[in-house]
Amino acid sequence: MTEQERLEEFEARIAQGDKIEPGDWMPDLYRKQLIRLIHQHANSEIMGALPEGTWIPYAPTFKRKLALMAKVQDEVGHAQLLYRAAETLGKSREAMVEELLSGQSKYSNVFNYPCETWADIGIIGWLIDGAAIINQTLMAEGSYGPYARALKRICLEEAFHIKQGYDIIITLMNGTPQQWAMVQDALNRWWWPIIMFFGPHDKASVHTATLQRWGVKPKTNDEQRQEFLRKFVPKIWELGLTLPDPDLHIDEAGEVHFTDPDWAIFYAVINGGGPMGPERLAVRRLSYQEGAWVRRALAGRPVAAVA
Amino acid sequence: MSNTLPPNLQSSIFDYILALADDELVIGHRASEWTGLGPILEEDIAFSSIAQDELGHALTFYTLLEGLDGGDADDLAFLRGSAEFRNAQLCELPRGDFAFSLVRHFLYDLAEAVRLDRLADSAYPPLAQAAAKIRQEEKYHLMHGRTWVQKLARGGDEARAHLQTALDLAYPAAAGLFEPVEDEAELVAAGLVPPSAEVAASWREVVVPFLSSAGFTVPVGTSHLGGRYGQHTEYLSQLLDAMQALYRTDPEASW
Amino acid sequence: MREWQFNPYHQRIEDALEQTATPPPADTEWGVWEVFQQDRRGEHHHHVGSVHAPDAEMALVLAKENFVRRGPCVNLWVVPSSAILATAYEDADIFQTTSDKNYREAGGYRSFRQKRRGQP
Repeated sequence: MTEQERLEEFEARIAQGDKIEPGDWMPDLYRKQLIRLIHQHANSEIMGALPEGTWIPYAPTFKRKLALMAKVQDEVGHAQLLYRAAETLGKSREAMVEELLSGQSKYSNVFNYPCETWADIGIIGWLIDGAAIINQTLMAEGSYGPYARALKRICLEEAFHIKQGYDIIITLMNGTPQQWAMVQDALNRWWWPIIMFFGPHDKASVHTATLQRWGVKPKTNDEQRQEFLRKFVPKIWELGLTLPDPDLHIDEAGEVHFTDPDWAIFYAVINGGGPMGPERLAVRRLSYQEGAWVRRALAGRPVAAVA
Repeated sequence: MSNTLPPNLQSSIFDYILALADDELVIGHRASEWTGLGPILEEDIAFSSIAQDELGHALTFYTLLEGLDGGDADDLAFLRGSAEFRNAQLCELPRGDFAFSLVRHFLYDLAEAVRLDRLADSAYPPLAQAAAKIRQEEKYHLMHGRTWVQKLARGGDEARAHLQTALDLAYPAAAGLFEPVEDEAELVAAGLVPPSAEVAASWREVVVPFLSSAGFTVPVGTSHLGGRYGQHTEYLSQLLDAMQALYRTDPEASW
Repeated sequence: MREWQFNPYHQRIEDALEQTATPPPADTEWGVWEVFQQDRRGEHHHHVGSVHAPDAEMALVLAKENFVRRGPCVNLWVVPSSAILATAYEDADIFQTTSDKNYREAGGYRSFRQKRRGQP
């Protein structure tokens, strides 16, 4: 088969809604982009465990402590699933983790912001996981089998995360006036990072169109952002909270119009300039280094036959 | 025996269960510090589950105390000062490296398993039921601990050194798990709890051969006692300062 | 409002910031084990994912919490990934039956009622 015929077969398979599996022929660009995408997604899960993990020893009640642990544990589990999915494309997990630690590979900006109060845990669970589930539900329909399978499992767990976050928010808002104010303050601080969570505006390039056709990125960042806003802005208002964007409004068609964030901040944060960027990476690096003897001790053993 | 105890035993059984609950809470809290920071993703997840189990056990025991007029479980956990805590000092020591947390948990889980086996026959039905329920989860903890310790014991000098250092610190402190509460003799006489000395002996019968056959030196050192009487290291106050800070900020607040 | 600007002790941020060096490539990757779960007795085991583990026993210990944190399970298998021999996707056409093989399906047969002559 010629290269052109393989490509046609590959595209036809995706067009009819079939998944691509690890052994299949795939264009180099497809493999490269998927590795990058899944790798960054996995990085985000493991880095995402840090801001929320901040609060595990400080969680205020038994119920909250257990729920937060289970949630952060899930994030680590998601990283495990996603790194495995990326490994099927030919890159080792160790190499991926090392690239994360050396700063060569990125993770979501949103985890480079500090978790200042307990209300932040509520906002993260409700809105950031809410944003993530929009992205992940979409990507679960993508064309690469192992990634889609991992995401299906992940989406099921995210449903608990959102409820966990929402429950914290509701409880705080039904508490003292100071607790209500704590929620509003957290929302104000997290709003712009959340808006930027979906990434900058997509450039209308051939590249973008190709990746869309190949089911690597089925919707643009702006489309996903809009979907998130349509879903969550009315809910936020319904609770009586305000958003730190005076120009934000919903038109008759239900489209949410909002102020374009300062993307210079986005690029600064993703390159380590975020308020907690250096700390987050340093904490991850330290824990990796301190666990090295464990991995070393049991590495290189022959894989025993299963009885 | 019914769920109602003679008045003279009520405060003793309260102390006994409080010690169990505090052990679970404090060691569970220490184990929880690893969530997101484990040595490898798969173990990060497994160890977090174990931490969650211990906290769940603590909640079960505190809930028993609610029935003995102990008040709300969250209040018991989040409002008492360190001198009121009855946990063994083993549980409060900082998490250290993975070897220490692993070895501590292994020693603790074995002690718990031995004790729960006996408590499942307690003449106080709520305690017997709680013990039987909790015992189920301990099975996985033991499998986890044994497997890790055995594998690392055969994992070369570096790993062996990590584990031996951990054992040297944890083993003497583990004796505190068997320190009897004040009126234990009365509880034993009434068939409510096993004698702690017997629990300790059964524990040693399992632990010592296991560690020796894995090639470790079982340390002989002074036992860290006093935890059952509110004597603690400074690490417990540090832990409680963090754990209780938010809950203590405002009695009107709901979390 | 921001009185909760604290330093989470367990993350040891100061220690972490002192260690600025990136660790050298470690090459300590553990092998991959495929995990199969049986939800209930009488049912088939089904594939749920895979774990990195140094050997089979550890793979089992780790698989439990990685894959069975929720939902029913009565049994787990782990199998070294390398032990699996699979067909190639490009040979998937071997599973397509070209000729009429409906004699293998229940639907390929008439029901008892239809078989009896003279009956509607």
